[in-house]
Amino acid sequence: MPDTHEDDIALRVRAIESLLIEKGLVQPAALAAIVETYETKIGPHNGAQVVARAWTDPAFKARLLSDATAAIAEMGFSGVQGEDMVVVENTPAVHNMVVCTLCSCYPWPTLGLPPNWYKSAPYRARAVIDPRGVLNEFGVDLPPDKEVRVWDSNAELRYLVLPERPPGTEGMDAAALAALVTRDAMIGTGTVAAGQGAAQ
Amino acid sequence: MNGVHDLGGMHGMGPINPEPQEPMFHEAWERTVFGLFMTTFAGGHFNVDEFRHAIERMDPAHYLQSPYYAHWLHAMESLLVERSALTRQEIDGRMAQLAEAA
Amino acid sequence: MPALPVEQVDGLIATGASARMPDTVPPRFRPGDRVTVRNINPLSHTRLPRYARGKAGTVEADRGVFCFNDTNAHGLGHKPQHVYGVRFAARDLWGEQAAVRDALYLDLFEDYLEPHGG
Repeated sequence: MPDTHEDDIALRVRAIESLLIEKGLVQPAALAAIVETYETKIGPHNGAQVVARAWTDPAFKARLLSDATAAIAEMGFSGVQGEDMVVVENTPAVHNMVVCTLCSCYPWPTLGLPPNWYKSAPYRARAVIDPRGVLNEFGVDLPPDKEVRVWDSNAELRYLVLPERPPGTEGMDAAALAALVTRDAMIGTGTVAAGQGAAQ
Repeated sequence: MNGVHDLGGMHGMGPINPEPQEPMFHEAWERTVFGLFMTTFAGGHFNVDEFRHAIERMDPAHYLQSPYYAHWLHAMESLLVERSALTRQEIDGRMAQLAEAA
Repeated sequence: MPALPVEQVDGLIATGASARMPDTVPPRFRPGDRVTVRNINPLSHTRLPRYARGKAGTVEADRGVFCFNDTNAHGLGHKPQHVYGVRFAARDLWGEQAAVRDALYLDLFEDYLEPHGG
């Protein structure tokens, strides 16, 4: 097997799937339910609700920064690849950015499954050694006196960035604010602007 | 293991190129691999550390050139065979059957 | 091995499987401690990236006790131990090319660390 050509992959996957089902090791309904959950229910719109609430509810924000797992669970988001969460806050002085250099660790309950670039060699290689260059590639240009903190999620903690609330959003409620929050802003490769949106 | 997976700080990997409006899965087989991983993992066939290490044991050139879910397929298949849930002969035989039927 | 039944899917996804373990081992380090990352090069699985080996940092947080990935990957048990959030100055990792204020954070198992200068 090891060096499977891509042409053979689809066939190989069908073969393994059919064998596992035949042997009673995989229930097709369970497989379908799992995929459906990640395709329809879990995604960055969850994280965006967490961020918007933190922007509008100071007591929630305090809980989020001191015990992120519990605070996020209050909003109904928990479980696989979000069992032990840490939220890091962007401020005028600090910008946070998350990577997993060793594999693809990512907070599934709040952001869904990671995009390809997050799991790929270029981002994992450069995020730690050249975070400002990476941010430039994402269109984020930080002043030199702002501190960049890179979080390499190498163990079992999973990280979510709490972006800065953009100016010009003072009158907006949590639902309107959530619509502004992008996935990349919660990874730290983006920021939130008043006119932008939205986490899919 | 000082493998190619330990990418932090390496040069020459190219631009990041985020894909706009990226689908969750690019091919139908990726969706199946994700579901099979979750069900066999939950079934207790391997733990997450064994799974990650099985990815690290991939041929390094193949690791860098293959799509992400091919890593998962490699690790899941390696572990299921090593733990005798499947055999290479069964997989090869079923692939031949499916190819003939197509 | 039994197959995962569809009835258990929602519960599995919502609960997951934390690697956190009962806090029964005392911590060797405390926030504020200076630590040096051990220079280890195991052929086996490790969650210690090469770029941090031999480098000095500061413990910022005790994350609690977790199952040790390095042993659990090889059927060698959970070896529960504290994991620490450790801050490294970017220049201590990458030299003068890094911005002077920037920093990198890793979560490091106690087995990866020794007291700085110790």
